[in-house]
Amino acid sequence: MKMRKNKLDEMQEQKLLQIEHNAAWLAFWGLLVAMVVQLFLYGFEGGKHIIGEWVVFMCLALYLVVGCLRIGVWDRKLEANVKTNLIASLIAGMVTGVLFAAINYRSYRMIEGAVANFVINGVMVFVACFVGLSFAAHLYKKKVEKLEKEEE
Amino acid sequence: MKNLKMKFARMEKDISQIELANRIGVTRQTIGMIESGDYNPSLKLCVAICKELGKTLNDLFWEEENDENEEK
Repeated sequence: MKMRKNKLDEMQEQKLLQIEHNAAWLAFWGLLVAMVVQLFLYGFEGGKHIIGEWVVFMCLALYLVVGCLRIGVWDRKLEANVKTNLIASLIAGMVTGVLFAAINYRSYRMIEGAVANFVINGVMVFVACFVGLSFAAHLYKKKVEKLEKEEE
Repeated sequence: MKNLKMKFARMEKDISQIELANRIGVTRQTIGMIESGDYNPSLKLCVAICKELGKTLNDLFWEEENDENEEK
């Protein structure tokens, strides 16, 4: 099939890329918010209703991570070190813990269950995030090293 | 920062924004945005503009300190 010629000039191309960039982040955070709201509204039963959103969200996240690692980019402002990974994992753990505790409390009205959910889910997400980030940081550093060593 | 050098060079040659845009293969909007300082063109586009206006990159795109002060 013959590819159609790009009708945009470089300025329009850049503006379009910027729009697509914003749209991609809107989709990313929009999906996350939609999943959180559905979980909160329908309780743990809502889990099965968000599979589609979850799959798309994870594909987006995976594409971003793999794409960035392939070109040796970590973040605009943050460093790939243990401190950053710990803080990011802690925030993720806390947010997830609070969300699951709230869902649990909303469904069963038991403070003990909510606290247990906060602790168990919070710790699990914290550990999973920290391991994932550490592994990604390791791959990122290896990639940067390789790119720096590449012959001119 | 406005690119007045480019605007004056274009006016010297008596070329409109549309004409220059057509010759280089971009839109008039792009030329307008470069002249008004709202878009930083690629080196490739800078060279194409220079060739079309018969100027060098230094003539059109090099910023002296005086230029910046004048803009302020």
